[in-house]
Amino acid sequence: MSATAQQEAAPGGLWSRISLGQKQVIWAWGFLAAPLLFYVIIRFWPTFQAFYLSVTDWTLTKPASFVGFENYQRLFNDPLFWQVFRNTFMYLILGTPISLLISFVVAYYLDRVRFMHSFIRALYFLPFLTTAAAMAWVWRWFYQPVPIGVINDVLASFGIPQQPFLRSTSQALPAVLAPAVWAGLGFQVIIFLAGLRAIPVTYYEAARIDGLSEGAILRRITLPLLKPTLVFLVVFSSIGFLRIFDQVYNINTNDPGGPLNSTKPLVLMIYQTAFSSYEMGYAAAQTVVLFMILLVISLVQLRLMRDR
Amino acid sequence: MATIKLDRLVKRYGQATVVHGIDLSIQDGEFVVLVGPSGCGKSTTLRMIAGLEEISGGEIRIDGRVVNDLQPKDRNIAMVFQNYAIYPHMTVADNIAFGLYRSKLSKSEKRQRVEQVAGTLGLSQLLDRRPSALSGGQRQRVAIGRAMVRDPAAFLFDEPLSNLDAQLRTQMRIEIKRLHHRLGTTSVFVTHDQVEAMTMADRIVVMRDGRILQVGTPLELYERPVDIFTARFIGSPTMNLLPASLKEGRADLSGGSSVKIPSLSSSSSEILIGVRPQDLALGLSTGMPGFSISGTVVVVEPLGSETLVHIESSDQTVIGSAPGRQIPKIGEPMTLHAPAERLYYFDKVTEKALAAQ
Repeated sequence: MSATAQQEAAPGGLWSRISLGQKQVIWAWGFLAAPLLFYVIIRFWPTFQAFYLSVTDWTLTKPASFVGFENYQRLFNDPLFWQVFRNTFMYLILGTPISLLISFVVAYYLDRVRFMHSFIRALYFLPFLTTAAAMAWVWRWFYQPVPIGVINDVLASFGIPQQPFLRSTSQALPAVLAPAVWAGLGFQVIIFLAGLRAIPVTYYEAARIDGLSEGAILRRITLPLLKPTLVFLVVFSSIGFLRIFDQVYNINTNDPGGPLNSTKPLVLMIYQTAFSSYEMGYAAAQTVVLFMILLVISLVQLRLMRDR
Repeated sequence: MATIKLDRLVKRYGQATVVHGIDLSIQDGEFVVLVGPSGCGKSTTLRMIAGLEEISGGEIRIDGRVVNDLQPKDRNIAMVFQNYAIYPHMTVADNIAFGLYRSKLSKSEKRQRVEQVAGTLGLSQLLDRRPSALSGGQRQRVAIGRAMVRDPAAFLFDEPLSNLDAQLRTQMRIEIKRLHHRLGTTSVFVTHDQVEAMTMADRIVVMRDGRILQVGTPLELYERPVDIFTARFIGSPTMNLLPASLKEGRADLSGGSSVKIPSLSSSSSEILIGVRPQDLALGLSTGMPGFSISGTVVVVEPLGSETLVHIESSDQTVIGSAPGRQIPKIGEPMTLHAPAERLYYFDKVTEKALAAQ
């Protein structure tokens, strides 16, 4: 009897010997383990796998063998890559400032609107919830020639000549970018609104008593205090535009990448290399390059915009 | 330097009227404190003077000029806010200089003014710091500095000490008072704290439900409150109010005791006798003329300088005071006395003070 009692006491004894702090640590790690394992298996492992694949010539059909930096050499000598590289940066350089400017202006004025405030906010947010495929189709119709295309209809009524939009090498990229900007607007407006709301009203009242004009209040108070919000949105939307894919893919389903690859971004090139040509090693090398670009751009932005 | 005059000032939000046509005249160089419970309209009144709230009716004059439709910046006033409203992304010097945003002084003159103000407020060592590196009291001083630097016609303070801890509040109270003494600028100060009001004001304006109940110096309010609200609001601890009925020049208290009182200008026979805890003392010999009440001690608060004694007498608790080193035991029977001339009388129905005839 006494032996079994001792046996029963032993495990309880071990748990009770641990200090409260250690117990909390064990519990915390117990809960953290689930998402951590998930991330390691679903996210980190494939990432490292991609680095490995990028130095092999795996093509699905034959086993991977080590080829060194051959894939990277091929990539840097590929004129298509440089075209795609330029396109990707065009999306970034046009998309980020334009979308941030529009969303800030919308948020700045929406913040003052009391009438149907929530409804208008919801309207702006709606495109963010819509699938890119459906949206791309609608915009594709917009860009058609008369009588189908709404935009050309409007242009025609003002006597402006028909524009080719998606079928032009120079207009296709901005035409693809427009729905992408529009789709992300709702999210950025919401974040800007939250940032604006967080600025205490007395800051503005004090400024009014000190005699600042609206413009001066915006420049000297609102924008500096909005900086953390701005940093977040710049980094977040830059990453979004560098990774642009579904808008581009869906708006030109018969010829993804536009005329003469004029709208093709890096992610689409990766997709085609991997799932049309099945050159997994080459696609992995492109992925690594994209990863590096994202990393460098994000770090540079964070450094530039951090408090000096 | 300026006078401020409110004439039948009204503020409405939709159907709700929050300020009911108040009149107030503030002299040049005066320090006036608006005091009252939250929601009494004191902050709204201040914000109307500042121009941050529109006026629904009446008139505001600063230095004789009607300012009803003037922008805040054109009223030549400066305001200090409860949460300081100093900008976290600017240094102390920049924050103070913000008060000079519209002035036409040269850069070096502005710098000189900022340094002068910072010197007055003891901020000279902190000019290059950000607000996040300052204590609460220092931040409040920066806010005052920004108000001072412009040399405005009037200072408006909107509960500026409420975010400070008790010790700092006492200290800042004295600093603001000394500053006012030195600058002599007309000041309007809003607070819900009667101690702040009593210690700082030249004149106190007691407000309740959007109306002014009484205006007077701190001592006038203490000695001659016009009604029960002011009587209870001013003075700490609160004045005791005991129901009594008038009968042939005497007032009979509910406990059975009675006190001889002067004839009052009262139509009703039900009154409240008010007595301040400081006047209701322990240890005076019985048989003295005046008011006395007996009961058992329920709570004792030794404060050092005096001891507050709560006694329970026929279903009501009365607060009296005993000398500092004398601490009665709980449960002990006790009699407290107050001289007849220290009693206050109020009509039970109208709650107005009754004058002795």
